[in-house]
Amino acid sequence: MKKIAFLTSIMILGLTLSCNDEVLNKVNPNGVTLDTYFNNDAELTAGVNAVYALVQHNGLVSREWFFTHDLRGDEMATGGGQLEAPRAQLLNGVNDAGNSVSNAVFTGWFRVIHRANVVIEAGAAAKPTISEAVRTRVVGEAKFLRAWAYYELGTLWGGVPIYTEYAKSVDGSKARSSQQDVYNVVISDLKAAETALPATYTAANLGRATKHAAQMLLARTYLQLGDYNNAKTELQKIVSSGLFKLVDNYLDLTNEEGEFNAESIFEVVYAPSGGAYNWGGDGDGTAVQEETVRTQEYSAVGWRNLIPSNKILNDYERASKGDAKDDPRYDMSYWKPGDKFNNGNSTMTDDRVQGNASVVDGKTVKISWRKYSVLYKIDNGFYTSGINMRIMRYADVLLMLAECENEAGNSAAAIALMNQVRARASVQMPPYPTSNYPCNNKDEILRALQHERFVELAAEQVRNFDILRWRKHKKLKSEPISFFVANKHELLPLPQTEIDNNPNIEQKDQNPGY
Amino acid sequence: MSPLRQEQNITCCLSQNFINLTNIRGMKKNLLHREKLLQLMRISLAQIILAGLFAGMGYAHPAFSQKVLLQKLSLNLEDKKLCEVLFLIEKKADVRFSYLPKQIEADRKVSIQAEDESLEKILDRVFKKTPIRYEVFGSKQILLSKTPLERYEQQQDLESLPKIQPIIIQKPDFRVQGTVTDNTGEPMVGASVVLEGTTQGAITDANGKYTLDLADDARNGTLIFSFVGYTTLRVAIDGRATVNVVLEEGKVLDEVVVVGYGTQKKSSLTGAVSSVSQKDLKALPVISLTQAIQGRVPGVSITNNSSPGADPIVRIRGIGSISLNPNPLFVIDGVPAGGLNNIDPKDIESLEVLKDASAASIYGSRAANGVVLITTKKGSVGKIKVNLDSYYGVQSAWKTLDLLNRDEYIRYGTALLTASNQPVPGRFSNLNTPVYEGASTTFAQTDTDWQDVMFRSAPIMDHQLSISGGNDVSRVYTSLGYFSQDGIMPVTDYQRQSFRINSDHKVAKWLTLGQTLLVATDKRRAERDGGGRSLIMNTMRMTPYWPVRDPTKIGGFSTTAQGLDATDPENPLRIAEQEQQDQINYGVKLLGTFFTEVKFTNWLKYRFVAGADFANSQFTSFLPIYNDGNRSRVIASLSENRNEFFSTVFTNQLTFDKSFGNHNVNVIAVAEKQDAKSESISASGQRPDNNIKVLQGVSNPNGSSSLSENSLISYVGRLTYDYAGKYLLGASIRRDGSSKFAPGRKWGIFPSASVGWRISEESFMKSITAITSLKLRASIGQTGYNAIGDYDWQPLISANNTIYPFGNTTTNLGSYFNRLGNTGLSWEETTMSNIGFDLSLSQGRFDISAEYYKRKTDGLLLSVPLPESLGFSSSPLANVGSMQNTGFELALGYNHRSADFNWSLTGTFDMVRNKVLSLATPNATINSGNNADFGGFDITRTQAGQPIQSFYGWQVDGIFQSAAEVAAANALGNDNAPYQNASTSAGDIRFKDLNGDGKIDGSDRTFLGSYLPKFSYGLNWGGTYKNFDFAVYIQGVNGNKIYNGVKVIGQGMLRLFNASTDVLDAWTPQNTDTDVPRAVSGDPNQNTRTSDRFIEDGSYLRIKNISIGYTFSSEGLKDVTNNVISRVRVYVSSQNLLTFTKYTGFDPEVASRGNNLLTNGIDYGQYPQARTVLFGINLGFN
Repeated sequence: MKKIAFLTSIMILGLTLSCNDEVLNKVNPNGVTLDTYFNNDAELTAGVNAVYALVQHNGLVSREWFFTHDLRGDEMATGGGQLEAPRAQLLNGVNDAGNSVSNAVFTGWFRVIHRANVVIEAGAAAKPTISEAVRTRVVGEAKFLRAWAYYELGTLWGGVPIYTEYAKSVDGSKARSSQQDVYNVVISDLKAAETALPATYTAANLGRATKHAAQMLLARTYLQLGDYNNAKTELQKIVSSGLFKLVDNYLDLTNEEGEFNAESIFEVVYAPSGGAYNWGGDGDGTAVQEETVRTQEYSAVGWRNLIPSNKILNDYERASKGDAKDDPRYDMSYWKPGDKFNNGNSTMTDDRVQGNASVVDGKTVKISWRKYSVLYKIDNGFYTSGINMRIMRYADVLLMLAECENEAGNSAAAIALMNQVRARASVQMPPYPTSNYPCNNKDEILRALQHERFVELAAEQVRNFDILRWRKHKKLKSEPISFFVANKHELLPLPQTEIDNNPNIEQKDQNPGY
Repeated sequence: MSPLRQEQNITCCLSQNFINLTNIRGMKKNLLHREKLLQLMRISLAQIILAGLFAGMGYAHPAFSQKVLLQKLSLNLEDKKLCEVLFLIEKKADVRFSYLPKQIEADRKVSIQAEDESLEKILDRVFKKTPIRYEVFGSKQILLSKTPLERYEQQQDLESLPKIQPIIIQKPDFRVQGTVTDNTGEPMVGASVVLEGTTQGAITDANGKYTLDLADDARNGTLIFSFVGYTTLRVAIDGRATVNVVLEEGKVLDEVVVVGYGTQKKSSLTGAVSSVSQKDLKALPVISLTQAIQGRVPGVSITNNSSPGADPIVRIRGIGSISLNPNPLFVIDGVPAGGLNNIDPKDIESLEVLKDASAASIYGSRAANGVVLITTKKGSVGKIKVNLDSYYGVQSAWKTLDLLNRDEYIRYGTALLTASNQPVPGRFSNLNTPVYEGASTTFAQTDTDWQDVMFRSAPIMDHQLSISGGNDVSRVYTSLGYFSQDGIMPVTDYQRQSFRINSDHKVAKWLTLGQTLLVATDKRRAERDGGGRSLIMNTMRMTPYWPVRDPTKIGGFSTTAQGLDATDPENPLRIAEQEQQDQINYGVKLLGTFFTEVKFTNWLKYRFVAGADFANSQFTSFLPIYNDGNRSRVIASLSENRNEFFSTVFTNQLTFDKSFGNHNVNVIAVAEKQDAKSESISASGQRPDNNIKVLQGVSNPNGSSSLSENSLISYVGRLTYDYAGKYLLGASIRRDGSSKFAPGRKWGIFPSASVGWRISEESFMKSITAITSLKLRASIGQTGYNAIGDYDWQPLISANNTIYPFGNTTTNLGSYFNRLGNTGLSWEETTMSNIGFDLSLSQGRFDISAEYYKRKTDGLLLSVPLPESLGFSSSPLANVGSMQNTGFELALGYNHRSADFNWSLTGTFDMVRNKVLSLATPNATINSGNNADFGGFDITRTQAGQPIQSFYGWQVDGIFQSAAEVAAANALGNDNAPYQNASTSAGDIRFKDLNGDGKIDGSDRTFLGSYLPKFSYGLNWGGTYKNFDFAVYIQGVNGNKIYNGVKVIGQGMLRLFNASTDVLDAWTPQNTDTDVPRAVSGDPNQNTRTSDRFIEDGSYLRIKNISIGYTFSSEGLKDVTNNVISRVRVYVSSQNLLTFTKYTGFDPEVASRGNNLLTNGIDYGQYPQARTVLFGINLGFN
């Protein structure tokens, strides 16, 4: 009996422990499902916050984005052998469909679009649990960010696939559209955003897209399309808002202290995080690592991957060239031997600067980028920084407006707008016309304007867009890019992986020349 | 002496029967010679376990019988028959011998002189150089036999043999007598005859005769005849005066192999199962048993990886997965568990590798990459045995490279930078300055050998105390171990403390309870990257004129100034001392089982096992503030990650085992459930000083945790059937339900079937005397693999899992959705067929076992390659793709036994061919290995039709010897594009234009070989000579390729860093007969692109272990140590003493950096294997 009782209990125990199939139904406890989320203000806001977070990640504005633009303009030269191969390829125009830098940007913007689509869909219809004000604003922000993504993609790659809803299955991919269609999406999104977004934010929300950021991006889009009239309309809205003015100190445009100043229209925000930088993935995770490597990549002391090109260094007005004075923006844009940095405690010497030298005004000298360099207050070249990337600022608005006025034949207005920028307190360059930049006709004004944009907005990821649109609309006297091959270098190649994995895109759909 | 033992006829009996013996039973052919050899093989395992490796002692004695054997006696016999000697011993000492005269060659003449010597010693001498062993059983009986007691099926009954008492019968009423013989007519000496229900009995004499004087009432009694190894016989007396009996030989237990959920006789095994004995596992000074089995099991590839404490890469029968780590399933005492490093190899009783599907499919959905079964030691019956095993050794790098010294470096650097129009570093012409401010030496006086700085002699030691013992109710084995190994590079080490207790208790005849428990802790400091570069790479690149330390810098290390030195290497010693010092992995592991076994009847058993696996791992990291003049950390960074894993498994098993005539049937049915839970928590923060190394008072604090659970429910059935041990059949089925898959996909069925034919048992084979045994086997079966995440099929919002700092505040969290789920997700499914044979020749002198298999995996889990434009950051896994491995395995054994010199040689050989059959799309490729420091191109490509992760790149077509040659090449294409690029110059490498379009681009790449060996092998030679023992163990692989990244570091000349002396042979217009291209910084021609220039033959032959030991004679020891120490063996051993290879990097055993998938065989400067020399001692205590 004892034996049987023992056996029975053991077996019952054993079988009870092992035979409940319910345990096979397990739900991931580390997250929530799509259908139970985005149901209140905080969740919807978190959704759009994640879009900004992606814009900020390593594949976009923290790193590859500025590289892609800088490498394709004529402002940059290699710092030396330390410039990694895929970057050197872009700089020399020998990049192909496998280029990791441009592919990261392509991928990054589409991930922005995906996240924005999720938010736009989640906020598409009114819900009792979500306040209308938040819903409107968040969807507006998402549309602004989606528009920015398509603006970059359309401008750099041409007609890319358009998704205005996120893919619900792995076979939801689309074929290429036309560049015009891409810009149409941008315009319609930005018009929606312009209506939905506020003009200003509280201090805690600085960095969110505003109505005027939407207007400025819309103006940039119109300029890419050669539509000066519509661009002018949008730009004038910004000017007439009265919210913006040029700041006195040119250095405040790319240092940490000048963030969100009166000249700023849209910034990608970075916050000091003790040197923590998220190199991997999409920059996700809750660790505070909100810095950018911009300062480290171009640092005079340290990697010094890119240095200013001789072309831009010699484009500054200089007394030795017969200009009225040396342009103060030169000193404020570059580190040169003998410069004091680290709050005046360190001196820039050739010993500390690796790589190539430049030739300026006939002299060989080691010159490095100062814009966005945090060396001004520390002595450490391998330091990431919390300096915000200024995506849009008011001086650019004035110069774009000047260009529109010039195109419309309003020379005086154009010159006045340019001179407004030159009159900045810390710059004080004599007004146009000058001996080297006469402004007697539309062409001369355009030449002055192109010079002014070159030096005022140096290394601010504007030049590439300018070259692209000026080239397209035949506003260039000569081709600024030495390696340029027509019908190839206008656009970047689609990533090979996109062609390989998208059943609706074939090799023949690749951009010409690749 | 029994008063009933009256006959004094000691005329022995063998010779007249001898002729009749031949050809009576097939088994007995050529008996004497053959049995000897079989004996050697049989005893090897048991003997070694009992007496220790190479103990040099002939025979095992259950310790509790020591008393019988310690009787002292004196003998002086010259040229006497053995049976006479035994008889005389019986007279002088209180013992009885049981034997078959023919088997022990009782007619053999022996001489023996002994003066007050122990019986043990006398018997040792008598049976020296024979296969006969002596073992005490019962109270004073000694069995003389070739077959160890433990191999007899009824051994458990030995203890319950009738105790024969001297009978005092005043007036015997009648006498029964007779002869006990075996079925060949051979008399059985020492058989017992007992009257049932009494202790009255007798023991047969040297002629197998017995005589019993009994009381009258015993006339109708029953006599019980028994002999160890023979079937006990009951015979009614029926008033007869003479009762002669013939005893039938009982079953001798076959060599038994652990298979899933039970054991199986090796002879009736139909699957491909390889066993590794304890001897092999403890022979090497290694941290884990997986390292010890390298080269010992054909079909199992083991590649050591990285610094001490790193798990080697274990692959069974090729590669079965692409996106998952194709690790085998490890089952430890019935519990599927990991953490093998925590297990002291000396605690292992046996290790079995289930290789083919018929063996492995019993583990169903986790078995596709093979199963390794690990059984830990049980207590032994008898007196408590205490053993202490210790060794201490020193490891060192067996190879260093030729790197530039200071003057060579300056010469090379000048040439390199000048060629790329860069200024010569200012320091080169200004070396007469102090190495740091206030230093007494200058750069000109400094010539640091950084390999000398970074390689060291490192100690390794291991100590284990084990206690084993028990009686027929309870047995216990317990051990305490400590292992410590420093790495050969600074601040890398591993330590382990382990405790084990295993016991089992026969509570009742029908009930056995038992448990196993391991408690272990370990600690590891691994090598760390500096700037994403390995320690080796940083060592190779460091500037020779730079000082090792610099006290003027925060942290004590400096590195070059970028402008003045034009180079920025990481000081490797700084990495070791500052990055490795306080990045520590700690682990605690508890692994235990409780089991109950209930015997309902002789043929039906129930077994319940409850197992638990608990592992706690902790990683603490403190990265200090430093400034080396170039790089710095301005704020100290701290982090701590803890992971707790807890898994339980409950197994219910019914085993039916019964014979019906010649039909032997074994059926098992199992219901099992395993649950696993993994929780992790991590925290980090920053501190403004280096004073506190825990997360206290930190700025920028961050913490997060995660939880993951899975369950597996399984039902298993297995049938094994054989007819007369000749025709073998096996079939099993497992149904697994896993929580890792979506509803509707949770359940899978994994069947298998196998057949075997023991041809040697057929009558027509009996005449072929050379073949001792021959078995053919064939099997087919399916297994699955599910090592995916617990929730991979489920799409998920990552809520509040990212930050965006609006207004420069870091409290704005973001939520996102970046991965689609896949409700169709299922197991990778492997179908494997196997044919093989096991052949034993010349009475077991030679053993051969061979296998051929085909293994096809379908539904390979791959990340669906999504178009970038869909915007998902991670791709869902899907079951796409298939892959095939086919292979051949061979194991050979040879045994030699002579008077003083006994040895055995075993060899293993295997070859496997891997081929990817399909990926997600017909043209899909999976590229891997890209690293900017190594040329910046992918190094491997996985593509249908090729072996997994084959090397893929360009082919070198020589060096352009002149500008004219470059110009001619540039003129080849139609589009005026340069052949390679615009910067190509004389001295650059010319790559092959494979598609003939006149230019070199991506389409000129091709497959350059595989990291998988053409074949691999192991050779193990071990034996004893007198009191010496030796082992030589050779392991090798052949025909594999290594992508030699060390050569890229050494002679790639990408930028100015220190380099190997190869660069002194760089091409110049004066030095054109070279394969090293011109020195030019920046590598404008991309000479370092992935090409066959860096592909090297990775074949190696390595003396993995060579050791020699000496065992001191036990008598002397007992005298000297007052009977405390019974055994002392000392040995010296060397691991990796010699390596024969053409590979020019540090070490040809190149696994995969960081254990990444698809980068096996790429040497990014991985941590090399060490050469070890050690001294060890084994002590046995009484």
